[in-house]
Amino acid sequence: MHLDFGVAWKFLPILLQASLMTIALFVLSQVLGTAAAFFVALARMSPRAWLRRPAMAYIWVVRGTPLLLHLFFVYYAAPAFGITLDAFPAAIIAMSASAAAYNAEIIRAGLQAVHRGQLEAAYAVGMSYGQVVRRIIVPQAVRIIIPPYMGNAISHCKNSSLASVITVPELMLTAQMIYSSTYRAIEILTVTGAIYLVLTSCLSALQMYGERLTAYEQRGLGEGRRRRLRLDAPLPTMPAS
Amino acid sequence: MIEVESLVKHFGAVRALDGVSLSVAAGEVVCLIGPSGSGKSTLLRCINFLEEPTSGVVRVNGKRVGREGTRRVSARELARTRAEIGMVFQHFYLWPHMIALENVIEGLVTVKGMGVGEAAAKGRALLEKVGLTDKMEVYPEHLSGGQRQRVAIARALAMEPRVMLFDEPTSSLDPELVGEVLRVMEQVASEGMTMVVATHEMGFARKVADRVVFLDQGKILEVGTPEEIFGRPRHERLRRFLDKVLV
Repeated sequence: MHLDFGVAWKFLPILLQASLMTIALFVLSQVLGTAAAFFVALARMSPRAWLRRPAMAYIWVVRGTPLLLHLFFVYYAAPAFGITLDAFPAAIIAMSASAAAYNAEIIRAGLQAVHRGQLEAAYAVGMSYGQVVRRIIVPQAVRIIIPPYMGNAISHCKNSSLASVITVPELMLTAQMIYSSTYRAIEILTVTGAIYLVLTSCLSALQMYGERLTAYEQRGLGEGRRRRLRLDAPLPTMPAS
Repeated sequence: MIEVESLVKHFGAVRALDGVSLSVAAGEVVCLIGPSGSGKSTLLRCINFLEEPTSGVVRVNGKRVGREGTRRVSARELARTRAEIGMVFQHFYLWPHMIALENVIEGLVTVKGMGVGEAAAKGRALLEKVGLTDKMEVYPEHLSGGQRQRVAIARALAMEPRVMLFDEPTSSLDPELVGEVLRVMEQVASEGMTMVVATHEMGFARKVADRVVFLDQGKILEVGTPEEIFGRPRHERLRRFLDKVLV
């Protein structure tokens, strides 16, 4: 077997260009999907059946059917409803919908992991629902959510390759076009794989950074927080009340 | 200071409270005793509306809690009332992502809008008062049960409540840690705080309570001074209960 990575080198700029499209697909659909997931998760936890049931049904259907099918569905079936979409917006819609379904369950798990007693303690000092969510639930939920959320993000990033089937010129489609005209499949696929690996490694690094950032009890307090809390000032001598 | 009138609370078919009336004067310390499931916790939780009573009226400082006529009060109004009622839980429920000092001042900062610096000064004084000067910057998971409960008491005191509710504050503590929490509660009582304490610590009830209330199956069976309740119990059920707990 004769390998010629010179070809891959020649096409590297094109592959890198295409990976920008992959990044755009991933980041945009991940952000939209996460924002939607937050509300789907809240609806899914609602005591009101008219909010909870549709959220459950949505998660059930979208998680239970392939993303590849969603992509085809949005791209090819939408015109039947009088909507014609370009490949890129069609892919964003399908991928966001998928991310929303998976992330909704991850976010719900995080929100529900905060013990009810802690919420009661917060209500007992007079906090409102919004304050409880902001000050007590979310800071703890974020920490719990990071590993499964980032795991899912990595998978979502790789799944962006499926958008190639509806002709979004992302990394995978570009690679296919290059090797079908150069017949250098091994070289091109190797380089393409390496690019995916770099992208997902960035996400892994982000996950580690996030976990370190939220490991509050191991991280110490930091200068700003110490100063705000006046921890290094001498104890006040005034009476307690 | 606290008036409870014909309070009823059902959980499905279970009558947790079955017509409880009780009035607690300002500065009074009332201990609730009784077997598990007798309704002590439910009574406390109804006073600050963590449980919504099925029927009956609760007033704290002359103001009705949770309801106005037949309507529920707004969330804002309820929160304001709750800020005047301190609560200490059996399982502490400190917020694990905040150090001890932040736990104590969280209510001051978010609910009362106090600046962090001012709140911190107040919080440090309170932690000093409960004997935790050297634990201010420690996260709850690195504190013992007794220390956690003292932080929780300081957290409740920080809001300068009119009354304090204690829901079995020492029941989940190792025996050797009970004393440090009871001592702090005794000190709070001696400063004139109005307190309602659900407890199995008969020694504390005897020593600190102005009145002791015996609850059984959701009803108040007997109310009296500690001398009356522990010295001359009238009710057969109370006598049996005391026989069991005072071995």
